[in-house]
Amino acid sequence: MAGFGKSPWILHYDASSCNGCDIETLACLTPLFDVERLGVVNTGNPKHADIFLVTGAVNEQSKSVIRNLYEQMPEPKTVVAVGACACTGGIFRECYNISGGVDNVIPVDVYVPGCAARPEAIIDGVVKAVQVLEQKHRAMRSNANRDQTLYLPAELADAPEILALQRIAYRLHEELYGGEENVPPLMETLPELTEEFSKTRFVKAVVNGKLIGSARARPNEHAAQVSRIMVHPYFQGRGIGRRLLAEIEHALQNDVKRFETAVGGKSEENIAWLQRQGYRIVQIMPAAPADTSVHLQKERA
Amino acid sequence: MNLWIRLIIYLLAGPIVGGLLVGWDRRISARMQSRLGPPILQPFYDVWKLWQKQNLVARRPQNLYIVLFLLLVIFSGALFFAGSDLLLVIFALTLGAIFFVLGAYTASSPYSFIGAERELIQMMAYEPLVLLTPIGMYVVTKSFSVHDIANHGSLLVLALPGVFLGFLYALVIKFRKSPFDLSSSHHAHQELVRGITTEFSARTLALIEVAHWYEIVFLLGWVYLFFASRPLLGVCASLGAFLFVIFVDNVFARLKWPAAIRSSWAVALVLGFGNILVLSLLQG
Repeated sequence: MAGFGKSPWILHYDASSCNGCDIETLACLTPLFDVERLGVVNTGNPKHADIFLVTGAVNEQSKSVIRNLYEQMPEPKTVVAVGACACTGGIFRECYNISGGVDNVIPVDVYVPGCAARPEAIIDGVVKAVQVLEQKHRAMRSNANRDQTLYLPAELADAPEILALQRIAYRLHEELYGGEENVPPLMETLPELTEEFSKTRFVKAVVNGKLIGSARARPNEHAAQVSRIMVHPYFQGRGIGRRLLAEIEHALQNDVKRFETAVGGKSEENIAWLQRQGYRIVQIMPAAPADTSVHLQKERA
Repeated sequence: MNLWIRLIIYLLAGPIVGGLLVGWDRRISARMQSRLGPPILQPFYDVWKLWQKQNLVARRPQNLYIVLFLLLVIFSGALFFAGSDLLLVIFALTLGAIFFVLGAYTASSPYSFIGAERELIQMMAYEPLVLLTPIGMYVVTKSFSVHDIANHGSLLVLALPGVFLGFLYALVIKFRKSPFDLSSSHHAHQELVRGITTEFSARTLALIEVAHWYEIVFLLGWVYLFFASRPLLGVCASLGAFLFVIFVDNVFARLKWPAAIRSSWAVALVLGFGNILVLSLLQG
Protein backbone atom coordinates (compact mmCIF):
# COMPACT_ATOMS: atom_id res chain seq x y z
CA MET A 1 0.00 0.00 0.00
CA ALA A 2 1.57 3.21 -1.12
CA GLY A 3 -0.79 5.54 0.74
CA PHE A 4 -1.08 8.06 -2.08
CA GLY A 5 -4.67 7.05 -2.77
CA LYS A 6 -5.75 8.02 0.72
CA SER A 7 -4.28 11.48 0.88
CA PRO A 8 -3.92 13.30 -2.44
CA TRP A 9 -3.07 16.93 -1.71
CA ILE A 10 -3.94 19.30 -4.50
CA LEU A 11 -2.41 22.50 -5.77
CA HIS A 12 -4.83 24.49 -7.90
CA TYR A 13 -3.55 27.09 -10.35
CA ASP A 14 -5.56 29.29 -12.69
CA ALA A 15 -3.46 29.75 -15.83
CA SER A 16 -5.83 32.16 -17.62
CA SER A 17 -9.21 30.66 -16.99
CA CYS A 18 -12.53 32.55 -17.22
CA ASN A 19 -13.06 31.31 -13.61
CA GLY A 20 -15.75 28.85 -14.70
CA CYS A 21 -13.56 25.81 -14.04
CA ASP A 22 -12.10 27.43 -10.89
CA ILE A 23 -15.53 27.79 -9.37
CA GLU A 24 -16.34 24.19 -10.24
CA THR A 25 -13.04 23.09 -8.72
CA LEU A 26 -13.79 24.91 -5.49
CA ALA A 27 -17.33 23.51 -5.58
CA CYS A 28 -15.71 20.11 -5.00
CA LEU A 29 -14.75 21.30 -1.50
CA THR A 30 -18.28 22.35 -0.56
CA PRO A 31 -20.62 20.22 1.58
CA LEU A 32 -22.34 18.83 -1.52
CA PHE A 33 -19.25 17.08 -2.90
CA ASP A 34 -16.86 17.36 0.07
CA VAL A 35 -13.70 15.89 -1.42
CA GLU A 36 -12.03 16.11 1.98
CA ARG A 37 -13.87 12.87 2.82
CA LEU A 38 -11.47 11.25 0.32
CA GLY A 39 -8.49 12.79 2.08
CA VAL A 40 -8.09 15.58 -0.48
CA VAL A 41 -6.58 18.79 0.85
CA ASN A 42 -6.46 21.99 -1.17
CA THR A 43 -2.98 23.07 -0.12
CA GLY A 44 -1.97 26.12 -2.12
CA ASN A 45 1.66 25.17 -1.49
CA PRO A 46 3.55 23.34 -4.24
CA LYS A 47 5.97 21.81 -1.74
CA HIS A 48 3.11 19.99 -0.01
CA ALA A 49 1.16 19.02 -3.12
CA ASP A 50 0.86 15.71 -4.98
CA ILE A 51 -1.51 16.73 -7.75
CA PHE A 52 -1.20 19.89 -9.79
CA LEU A 53 -4.62 20.98 -11.03
CA VAL A 54 -4.45 23.58 -13.77
CA THR A 55 -7.44 25.42 -15.24
CA GLY A 56 -7.43 27.68 -18.26
CA ALA A 57 -5.20 27.93 -21.32
CA VAL A 58 -1.54 28.82 -21.00
CA ASN A 59 -0.54 32.33 -21.94
CA GLU A 60 2.87 33.99 -22.07
CA GLN A 61 2.62 35.24 -18.49
CA SER A 62 1.43 32.06 -16.83
CA LYS A 63 3.95 29.85 -18.66
CA SER A 64 6.88 30.48 -16.32
CA VAL A 65 4.62 30.32 -13.25
CA ILE A 66 3.33 26.87 -14.25
CA ARG A 67 6.83 25.58 -14.88
CA ASN A 68 8.03 27.02 -11.58
CA LEU A 69 5.18 25.51 -9.56
CA TYR A 70 5.65 22.15 -11.24
CA GLU A 71 9.36 22.08 -10.47
CA GLN A 72 8.74 22.97 -6.82
CA MET A 73 6.52 19.95 -6.28
CA PRO A 74 8.24 16.90 -4.77
CA GLU A 75 8.18 13.60 -6.68
CA PRO A 76 6.00 11.67 -7.29
CA LYS A 77 3.61 14.23 -8.77
CA THR A 78 0.87 14.31 -11.38
CA VAL A 79 -0.75 17.04 -13.43
CA VAL A 80 -4.47 17.30 -14.17
CA ALA A 81 -5.63 19.69 -16.90
CA VAL A 82 -9.17 20.77 -16.01
CA GLY A 83 -11.49 22.07 -18.72
CA ALA A 84 -11.31 22.49 -22.47
CA CYS A 85 -8.89 25.45 -22.30
CA ALA A 86 -6.38 23.64 -20.08
CA CYS A 87 -6.59 20.54 -22.31
CA THR A 88 -6.16 22.17 -25.72
CA GLY A 89 -6.42 25.95 -25.46
CA GLY A 90 -10.17 25.70 -26.08
CA ILE A 91 -11.84 28.60 -27.83
CA PHE A 92 -8.83 30.77 -27.06
CA ARG A 93 -6.30 28.57 -28.83
CA GLU A 94 -5.88 30.92 -31.78
CA CYS A 95 -5.43 34.06 -29.69
CA TYR A 96 -2.07 35.78 -30.16
CA ASN A 97 -1.17 35.48 -26.46
CA ILE A 98 -2.17 31.84 -25.95
CA SER A 99 0.30 28.97 -26.36
CA GLY A 100 -2.38 26.30 -26.07
CA GLY A 101 -3.01 23.60 -23.47
CA VAL A 102 -1.02 22.97 -20.32
CA ASP A 103 0.85 20.14 -22.04
CA ASN A 104 2.78 22.76 -23.99
CA VAL A 105 4.67 23.59 -20.81
CA ILE A 106 4.66 20.57 -18.51
CA PRO A 107 3.73 16.89 -18.96
CA VAL A 108 0.00 16.34 -18.29
CA ASP A 109 -1.21 13.00 -16.92
CA VAL A 110 -4.98 13.43 -16.86
CA TYR A 111 -7.24 15.54 -19.09
CA VAL A 112 -10.67 16.53 -17.77
CA PRO A 113 -12.83 17.86 -20.63
CA GLY A 114 -15.78 20.21 -20.31
CA CYS A 115 -16.61 23.88 -20.47
CA ALA A 116 -16.82 24.31 -17.59
CA ALA A 117 -15.77 20.89 -16.31
CA ARG A 118 -18.34 19.51 -13.88
CA PRO A 119 -17.33 18.87 -10.26
CA GLU A 120 -18.06 15.14 -10.74
CA ALA A 121 -15.71 15.06 -13.72
CA ILE A 122 -13.01 16.91 -11.77
CA ILE A 123 -13.28 14.42 -8.88
CA ASP A 124 -13.06 11.56 -11.42
CA GLY A 125 -9.95 13.21 -12.87
CA VAL A 126 -8.36 13.45 -9.44
CA VAL A 127 -9.10 9.76 -8.80
CA LYS A 128 -7.41 8.92 -12.12
CA ALA A 129 -4.47 11.14 -11.13
CA VAL A 130 -4.14 9.21 -7.87
CA GLN A 131 -3.77 5.99 -9.88
CA VAL A 132 -1.04 7.61 -11.97
CA LEU A 133 0.58 8.84 -8.75
CA GLU A 134 0.74 5.31 -7.39
CA GLN A 135 2.13 4.06 -10.70
CA LYS A 136 4.85 6.69 -10.60
CA HIS A 137 5.65 5.86 -7.01
CA ARG A 138 6.00 2.18 -7.89
CA ALA A 139 8.28 3.15 -10.76
CA MET A 140 10.37 5.30 -8.42
CA ARG A 141 10.77 2.51 -5.91
CA SER A 142 11.16 -0.63 -7.94
CA ASN A 143 12.83 0.20 -11.24
CA ALA A 144 16.39 0.46 -10.08
CA ASN A 145 16.08 -2.32 -7.53
CA ARG A 146 14.43 -4.96 -9.61
CA ASP A 147 15.57 -4.25 -13.14
CA GLN A 148 19.10 -4.61 -14.25
CA THR A 149 21.01 -1.40 -14.75
CA LEU A 150 23.22 -1.52 -17.83
CA TYR A 151 26.41 0.54 -18.05
CA LEU A 152 27.37 1.27 -21.65
CA PRO A 153 29.46 3.74 -23.60
CA ALA A 154 27.16 6.53 -24.79
CA GLU A 155 26.97 7.48 -28.47
CA LEU A 156 26.09 10.58 -30.40
CA ALA A 157 22.48 9.39 -30.69
CA ASP A 158 22.17 9.58 -26.89
CA ALA A 159 22.93 13.32 -26.82
CA PRO A 160 19.30 14.57 -26.61
CA GLU A 161 18.49 12.11 -23.84
CA ILE A 162 21.62 13.04 -21.90
CA LEU A 163 20.72 16.71 -22.21
CA ALA A 164 17.17 16.06 -20.98
CA LEU A 165 18.51 14.11 -18.01
CA GLN A 166 21.03 16.87 -17.30
CA ARG A 167 18.21 19.43 -17.07
CA ILE A 168 16.42 17.26 -14.49
CA ALA A 169 19.45 16.20 -12.47
CA TYR A 170 21.01 19.65 -12.14
CA ARG A 171 17.72 21.42 -11.40
CA LEU A 172 18.35 21.35 -7.65
CA HIS A 173 21.56 23.33 -8.21
CA GLU A 174 19.58 26.21 -9.62
CA GLU A 175 18.49 27.50 -6.23
CA LEU A 176 21.85 26.70 -4.65
CA TYR A 177 23.71 28.90 -7.12
CA GLY A 178 20.97 31.50 -7.53
CA GLY A 179 19.59 31.02 -11.01
CA GLU A 180 20.16 28.66 -13.93
CA GLU A 181 22.57 31.05 -15.64
CA ASN A 182 25.08 30.18 -12.87
CA VAL A 183 24.77 26.45 -13.48
CA PRO A 184 26.61 25.60 -16.73
CA PRO A 185 25.00 22.14 -17.11
CA LEU A 186 21.59 23.82 -17.28
CA MET A 187 22.79 26.25 -19.94
CA GLU A 188 24.39 23.66 -22.26
CA THR A 189 22.73 23.41 -25.64
CA LEU A 190 22.34 20.40 -27.89
CA PRO A 191 24.90 21.61 -30.51
CA GLU A 192 27.45 22.17 -27.72
CA LEU A 193 26.83 18.70 -26.31
CA THR A 194 27.02 17.12 -29.77
CA GLU A 195 30.37 18.80 -30.35
CA GLU A 196 31.65 17.44 -27.02
CA PHE A 197 31.30 13.92 -28.41
CA SER A 198 34.29 14.40 -30.75
CA LYS A 199 36.74 14.93 -27.83
CA THR A 200 35.06 13.38 -24.81
CA ARG A 201 34.22 9.86 -23.70
CA PHE A 202 30.69 9.31 -22.40
CA VAL A 203 29.18 6.45 -20.40
CA LYS A 204 25.51 5.95 -19.65
CA ALA A 205 23.39 3.95 -17.21
CA VAL A 206 20.29 2.44 -18.76
CA VAL A 207 17.24 0.94 -17.07
CA ASN A 208 14.48 -0.59 -19.22
CA GLY A 209 15.93 1.11 -22.28
CA LYS A 210 15.77 4.52 -20.64
CA LEU A 211 18.82 6.59 -19.90
CA ILE A 212 18.89 7.36 -16.17
CA GLY A 213 22.53 8.27 -15.58
CA SER A 214 25.58 9.54 -17.40
CA ALA A 215 29.17 10.66 -16.87
CA ARG A 216 31.87 11.97 -19.17
CA ALA A 217 35.63 12.46 -19.23
CA ARG A 218 37.88 14.33 -21.62
CA PRO A 219 41.41 12.91 -21.87
CA ASN A 220 44.29 15.40 -22.13
CA GLU A 221 47.96 14.42 -22.26
CA HIS A 222 48.30 12.79 -18.84
CA ALA A 223 45.06 13.57 -17.12
CA ALA A 224 41.38 13.11 -17.84
CA GLN A 225 38.84 15.78 -16.95
CA VAL A 226 35.91 13.92 -15.42
CA SER A 227 32.64 15.85 -15.32
CA ARG A 228 28.84 15.76 -15.26
CA ILE A 229 28.33 12.63 -13.22
CA MET A 230 24.57 12.63 -12.99
CA VAL A 231 21.77 10.27 -12.01
CA HIS A 232 18.03 10.82 -12.34
CA PRO A 233 16.50 11.81 -8.96
CA TYR A 234 14.34 8.65 -8.93
CA PHE A 235 17.46 6.49 -9.01
CA GLN A 236 19.80 8.35 -6.68
CA GLY A 237 21.28 6.77 -3.58
CA ARG A 238 21.64 3.32 -5.17
CA GLY A 239 25.32 3.36 -6.12
CA ILE A 240 24.68 4.18 -9.79
CA GLY A 241 26.86 7.29 -9.70
CA ARG A 242 29.71 5.31 -8.15
CA ARG A 243 29.46 2.70 -10.91
CA LEU A 244 29.36 5.39 -13.60
CA LEU A 245 32.52 6.97 -12.20
CA ALA A 246 34.24 3.58 -12.07
CA GLU A 247 33.18 2.87 -15.65
CA ILE A 248 34.52 6.14 -17.03
CA GLU A 249 37.80 5.69 -15.13
CA HIS A 250 38.07 2.14 -16.44
CA ALA A 251 37.46 3.29 -20.01
CA LEU A 252 40.42 5.68 -19.83
CA GLN A 253 42.82 3.87 -17.55
CA ASN A 254 45.26 3.00 -20.32
CA ASP A 255 45.35 6.52 -21.73
CA VAL A 256 45.92 8.74 -18.69
CA LYS A 257 47.79 8.79 -15.37
CA ARG A 258 45.29 10.65 -13.27
CA PHE A 259 41.74 11.87 -13.18
CA GLU A 260 40.80 15.46 -12.42
CA THR A 261 37.51 17.15 -11.77
CA ALA A 262 36.20 20.51 -10.61
CA VAL A 263 33.07 21.21 -8.56
CA GLY A 264 31.39 24.42 -7.43
CA GLY A 265 32.25 25.29 -3.82
CA LYS A 266 28.60 25.26 -2.72
CA SER A 267 28.07 21.64 -3.74
CA GLU A 268 29.41 20.32 -0.45
CA GLU A 269 27.61 17.00 -0.77
CA ASN A 270 29.11 16.37 -4.18
CA ILE A 271 32.61 17.21 -2.93
CA ALA A 272 32.20 14.84 0.02
CA TRP A 273 30.95 12.14 -2.36
CA LEU A 274 33.97 12.57 -4.65
CA GLN A 275 36.28 12.35 -1.63
CA ARG A 276 34.64 9.05 -0.70
CA GLN A 277 35.43 7.84 -4.24
CA GLY A 278 39.12 8.49 -3.65
CA TYR A 279 39.46 12.02 -4.99
CA ARG A 280 41.34 14.59 -2.95
CA ILE A 281 41.16 18.38 -3.06
CA VAL A 282 44.23 19.89 -4.72
CA GLN A 283 43.18 23.47 -5.23
CA ILE A 284 40.36 25.85 -4.39
CA MET A 285 40.09 28.70 -6.85
CA PRO A 286 37.85 31.76 -6.72
CA ALA A 287 35.15 31.71 -9.36
CA ALA A 288 32.63 34.38 -10.26
CA PRO A 289 30.37 35.45 -8.69
CA ALA A 290 30.97 34.98 -4.96
CA ASP A 291 31.75 31.31 -5.36
CA THR A 292 34.73 29.01 -5.49
CA SER A 293 35.70 26.21 -7.79
CA VAL A 294 37.10 23.16 -5.98
CA HIS A 295 39.56 21.07 -7.98
CA LEU A 296 39.94 17.42 -7.07
CA GLN A 297 42.13 14.68 -8.47
CA LYS A 298 42.86 10.99 -8.15
CA GLU A 299 45.87 8.99 -9.35
CA ARG A 300 45.25 6.02 -11.60
CA ALA A 301 45.09 2.80 -9.58
CA MET B 1 3.27 2.83 37.97
CA ASN B 2 6.91 2.35 37.19
CA LEU B 3 8.53 5.44 35.69
CA TRP B 4 9.98 3.62 32.69
CA ILE B 5 6.74 1.86 31.84
CA ARG B 6 4.97 5.20 31.97
CA LEU B 7 7.54 6.77 29.65
CA ILE B 8 7.37 3.91 27.16
CA ILE B 9 3.56 4.10 27.16
CA TYR B 10 3.84 7.85 26.48
CA LEU B 11 6.36 7.39 23.68
CA LEU B 12 4.29 4.70 21.92
CA ALA B 13 0.73 5.75 22.69
CA GLY B 14 1.39 9.51 22.48
CA PRO B 15 1.48 9.76 18.69
CA ILE B 16 -1.35 7.24 18.29
CA VAL B 17 -3.69 9.12 20.62
CA GLY B 18 -2.54 12.48 19.22
CA GLY B 19 -3.10 11.33 15.63
CA LEU B 20 -6.56 10.01 16.48
CA LEU B 21 -7.40 13.31 18.17
CA VAL B 22 -6.32 15.23 15.05
CA GLY B 23 -8.45 12.89 12.91
CA TRP B 24 -11.34 13.44 15.27
CA ASP B 25 -10.73 17.19 15.05
CA ARG B 26 -10.93 17.14 11.25
CA ARG B 27 -14.07 15.04 11.29
CA ILE B 28 -15.85 17.13 13.88
CA SER B 29 -14.86 20.35 12.10
CA ALA B 30 -16.29 18.88 8.89
CA ARG B 31 -19.53 17.96 10.67
CA MET B 32 -19.77 21.49 12.05
CA GLN B 33 -19.58 22.71 8.45
CA SER B 34 -22.22 20.09 7.43
CA ARG B 35 -19.68 18.03 5.53
CA LEU B 36 -18.93 14.34 5.90
CA GLY B 37 -15.26 14.80 6.68
CA PRO B 38 -12.25 12.48 6.25
CA PRO B 39 -11.82 9.16 8.08
CA ILE B 40 -10.54 9.28 11.67
CA LEU B 41 -7.27 7.68 10.51
CA GLN B 42 -6.66 10.43 7.92
CA PRO B 43 -3.68 12.02 9.77
CA PHE B 44 -1.89 8.66 9.71
CA TYR B 45 -2.57 8.27 5.97
CA ASP B 46 -1.17 11.77 5.44
CA VAL B 47 2.01 11.14 7.39
CA TRP B 48 2.49 7.74 5.73
CA LYS B 49 2.22 9.39 2.32
CA LEU B 50 4.50 12.30 3.26
CA TRP B 51 7.09 9.78 4.40
CA GLN B 52 7.37 8.43 0.86
CA LYS B 53 7.65 11.71 -0.99
CA GLN B 54 10.82 13.31 -2.28
CA ASN B 55 12.21 15.74 0.31
CA LEU B 56 12.87 19.12 -1.27
CA VAL B 57 15.15 21.29 0.80
CA ALA B 58 15.94 24.97 0.31
CA ARG B 59 18.67 25.22 2.99
CA ARG B 60 19.95 22.05 4.54
CA PRO B 61 19.98 23.06 8.27
CA GLN B 62 16.19 23.52 8.16
CA ASN B 63 15.62 19.77 8.52
CA LEU B 64 18.01 19.52 11.45
CA TYR B 65 16.03 22.21 13.27
CA ILE B 66 12.82 20.27 12.72
CA VAL B 67 14.39 17.07 14.09
CA LEU B 68 15.48 19.06 17.17
CA PHE B 69 11.97 20.50 17.43
CA LEU B 70 10.45 17.01 17.44
CA LEU B 71 13.01 15.70 19.94
CA LEU B 72 12.42 18.60 22.33
CA VAL B 73 8.64 18.27 22.13
CA ILE B 74 8.99 14.55 22.91
CA PHE B 75 11.49 15.39 25.66
CA SER B 76 9.26 17.98 27.32
CA GLY B 77 6.33 15.55 27.16
CA ALA B 78 8.51 12.82 28.65
CA LEU B 79 9.57 15.16 31.48
CA PHE B 80 5.91 15.91 32.10
CA PHE B 81 4.74 12.30 32.19
CA ALA B 82 7.75 11.30 34.26
CA GLY B 83 6.43 13.71 36.91
CA SER B 84 9.34 16.14 36.69
CA ASP B 85 9.50 19.90 37.25
CA LEU B 86 6.82 21.91 35.41
CA LEU B 87 9.15 24.87 34.82
CA LEU B 88 11.70 22.60 33.15
CA VAL B 89 8.88 21.26 30.95
CA ILE B 90 8.01 24.81 29.85
CA PHE B 91 11.62 25.66 29.06
CA ALA B 92 12.07 22.50 26.98
CA LEU B 93 8.81 23.14 25.13
CA THR B 94 9.72 26.77 24.42
CA LEU B 95 13.16 25.77 23.17
CA GLY B 96 11.49 23.27 20.86
CA ALA B 97 9.15 25.94 19.51
CA ILE B 98 12.15 28.22 18.95
CA PHE B 99 13.84 25.52 16.88
CA PHE B 100 10.71 25.31 14.74
CA VAL B 101 10.86 29.07 14.16
CA LEU B 102 14.59 28.87 13.37
CA GLY B 103 13.89 26.14 10.84
CA ALA B 104 11.36 28.37 9.10
CA TYR B 105 13.80 31.33 9.16
CA THR B 106 16.56 29.17 7.70
CA ALA B 107 14.45 28.25 4.70
CA SER B 108 14.61 31.92 3.63
CA SER B 109 11.35 32.15 1.78
CA PRO B 110 9.18 35.23 2.34
CA TYR B 111 6.19 33.09 3.30
CA SER B 112 7.98 31.01 5.87
CA PHE B 113 9.60 34.25 7.14
CA ILE B 114 6.23 35.83 7.85
CA GLY B 115 5.02 32.52 9.27
CA ALA B 116 8.04 32.41 11.60
CA GLU B 117 7.53 36.00 12.69
CA ARG B 118 3.88 35.35 13.43
CA GLU B 119 4.81 32.19 15.33
CA LEU B 120 7.10 34.32 17.52
CA ILE B 121 4.21 36.72 18.11
CA GLN B 122 1.98 33.79 19.06
CA MET B 123 4.65 32.57 21.45
CA MET B 124 4.76 36.03 23.04
CA ALA B 125 0.98 35.84 23.35
CA TYR B 126 0.70 32.44 25.04
CA GLU B 127 3.92 32.37 27.05
CA PRO B 128 2.66 34.53 30.00
CA LEU B 129 -0.47 32.37 30.24
CA VAL B 130 1.55 29.17 30.15
CA LEU B 131 4.02 30.52 32.73
CA LEU B 132 1.26 31.58 35.15
CA THR B 133 -0.14 28.02 35.18
CA PRO B 134 2.71 26.37 37.14
CA ILE B 135 2.94 29.47 39.37
CA GLY B 136 -0.75 29.11 40.22
CA MET B 137 -0.27 25.40 40.83
CA TYR B 138 2.69 26.18 43.05
CA VAL B 139 0.66 28.63 45.13
CA VAL B 140 -1.88 25.87 45.80
CA THR B 141 0.36 22.81 46.16
CA LYS B 142 3.71 24.39 47.20
CA SER B 143 5.49 22.36 44.53
CA PHE B 144 6.47 22.64 40.87
CA SER B 145 6.80 18.91 40.47
CA VAL B 146 4.14 17.30 38.27
CA HIS B 147 4.23 14.26 40.53
CA ASP B 148 3.40 16.27 43.65
CA ILE B 149 0.77 18.35 41.89
CA ALA B 150 -0.95 15.24 40.49
CA ASN B 151 -1.03 13.64 43.96
CA HIS B 152 -2.08 16.76 45.84
CA GLY B 153 -5.58 15.50 46.53
CA SER B 154 -7.58 18.68 45.99
CA LEU B 155 -9.32 19.65 42.76
CA LEU B 156 -6.95 22.37 41.53
CA VAL B 157 -9.47 23.88 39.15
CA LEU B 158 -11.62 25.00 42.10
CA ALA B 159 -8.76 27.09 43.47
CA LEU B 160 -7.52 28.18 40.04
CA PRO B 161 -10.55 28.81 37.80
CA GLY B 162 -9.00 31.95 36.30
CA VAL B 163 -5.68 30.24 35.58
CA PHE B 164 -7.55 27.32 34.03
CA LEU B 165 -9.52 29.59 31.68
CA GLY B 166 -6.29 31.40 30.84
CA PHE B 167 -4.67 28.06 30.01
CA LEU B 168 -7.59 27.20 27.70
CA TYR B 169 -6.97 30.54 25.98
CA ALA B 170 -3.30 29.61 25.58
CA LEU B 171 -4.34 26.21 24.22
CA VAL B 172 -6.21 27.82 21.32
CA ILE B 173 -3.09 29.83 20.43
CA LYS B 174 -0.74 26.90 20.94
CA PHE B 175 -2.79 24.60 18.69
CA ARG B 176 -2.80 27.37 16.04
CA LYS B 177 -6.58 27.45 15.86
CA SER B 178 -8.79 30.33 14.75
CA PRO B 179 -8.92 33.13 15.86
CA PHE B 180 -5.17 32.66 16.43
CA ASP B 181 -4.11 30.62 13.38
CA LEU B 182 -1.75 33.41 12.36
CA SER B 183 1.42 31.49 11.60
CA SER B 184 -0.08 28.54 9.77
CA SER B 185 -3.67 27.56 9.24
CA HIS B 186 -5.08 24.04 9.11
CA HIS B 187 -7.81 25.01 6.72
CA ALA B 188 -7.91 25.99 3.09
CA HIS B 189 -6.87 29.60 3.75
CA GLN B 190 -3.98 30.39 1.48
CA GLU B 191 -2.94 33.97 2.15
CA LEU B 192 0.52 32.92 3.43
CA VAL B 193 0.74 29.80 1.24
CA ARG B 194 1.23 27.65 4.34
CA GLY B 195 2.91 30.05 6.75
CA ILE B 196 5.61 28.58 8.91
CA THR B 197 5.50 25.15 7.23
CA THR B 198 5.68 26.49 3.66
CA GLU B 199 9.22 25.32 2.94
CA PHE B 200 8.98 21.92 4.58
CA SER B 201 8.01 18.95 2.49
CA ALA B 202 7.80 15.17 2.68
CA ARG B 203 9.49 13.60 5.73
CA THR B 204 10.23 16.89 7.40
CA LEU B 205 6.58 17.88 7.21
CA ALA B 206 5.67 14.44 8.55
CA LEU B 207 7.97 15.04 11.54
CA ILE B 208 6.26 18.38 12.21
CA GLU B 209 2.91 16.58 12.12
CA VAL B 210 4.13 13.91 14.58
CA ALA B 211 5.55 16.59 16.88
CA HIS B 212 2.13 18.22 16.80
CA TRP B 213 0.53 14.93 17.91
CA TYR B 214 2.88 14.63 20.87
CA GLU B 215 2.22 18.26 21.71
CA ILE B 216 -1.56 17.74 21.77
CA VAL B 217 -1.33 14.75 24.10
CA PHE B 218 1.05 16.51 26.43
CA LEU B 219 -0.92 19.78 26.58
CA LEU B 220 -4.15 17.89 27.21
CA GLY B 221 -2.26 16.09 29.98
CA TRP B 222 -1.70 19.52 31.42
CA VAL B 223 -5.45 20.18 31.38
CA TYR B 224 -5.85 16.85 33.20
CA LEU B 225 -3.53 18.14 35.92
CA PHE B 226 -6.19 20.69 36.96
CA PHE B 227 -8.55 17.77 37.68
CA ALA B 228 -5.94 15.21 38.76
CA SER B 229 -7.69 14.23 42.00
CA ARG B 230 -10.71 12.94 40.01
CA PRO B 231 -9.17 10.92 37.11
CA LEU B 232 -12.41 10.30 35.20
CA LEU B 233 -13.38 13.96 35.41
CA GLY B 234 -9.84 14.82 34.32
CA VAL B 235 -10.05 12.73 31.13
CA CYS B 236 -13.49 14.17 30.34
CA ALA B 237 -12.20 17.70 30.96
CA SER B 238 -9.20 17.15 28.65
CA LEU B 239 -11.41 15.90 25.85
CA GLY B 240 -13.89 18.69 26.60
CA ALA B 241 -11.07 21.24 26.33
CA PHE B 242 -10.08 19.78 22.95
CA LEU B 243 -13.69 19.93 21.79
CA PHE B 244 -13.89 23.51 23.01
CA VAL B 245 -10.81 24.43 20.96
CA ILE B 246 -12.34 22.83 17.85
CA PHE B 247 -15.59 24.70 18.47
CA VAL B 248 -13.79 28.01 18.85
CA ASP B 249 -11.81 27.24 15.69
CA ASN B 250 -15.01 26.87 13.71
CA VAL B 251 -16.98 29.85 14.99
CA PHE B 252 -14.30 32.54 14.90
CA ALA B 253 -12.62 34.38 12.08
CA ARG B 254 -8.91 35.10 12.31
CA LEU B 255 -7.79 38.05 14.44
CA LYS B 256 -4.94 40.37 13.59
CA TRP B 257 -1.73 39.89 15.53
CA PRO B 258 -2.00 42.99 17.80
CA ALA B 259 -5.44 41.76 18.88
CA ALA B 260 -3.97 38.32 19.63
CA ILE B 261 -1.26 39.79 21.88
CA ARG B 262 -3.48 42.37 23.58
CA SER B 263 -6.29 39.97 24.34
CA SER B 264 -4.05 37.16 25.61
CA TRP B 265 -2.04 39.52 27.84
CA ALA B 266 -5.28 40.98 29.17
CA VAL B 267 -6.49 37.45 29.93
CA ALA B 268 -3.15 36.64 31.56
CA LEU B 269 -3.32 39.77 33.69
CA VAL B 270 -6.97 39.65 34.70
CA LEU B 271 -7.75 35.93 34.91
CA GLY B 272 -4.32 34.42 35.55
CA PHE B 273 -2.59 37.02 37.68
CA GLY B 274 -5.86 38.08 39.34
CA ASN B 275 -6.59 34.50 40.32
CA ILE B 276 -3.14 34.04 41.84
CA LEU B 277 -3.35 37.41 43.63
CA VAL B 278 -6.69 36.60 45.21
CA LEU B 279 -5.44 33.14 46.16
CA SER B 280 -2.30 34.44 47.88
CA LEU B 281 -4.30 37.16 49.68
CA LEU B 282 -6.71 34.52 50.96
CA GLN B 283 -3.84 32.29 52.07
CA GLY B 284 -1.88 35.16 53.63
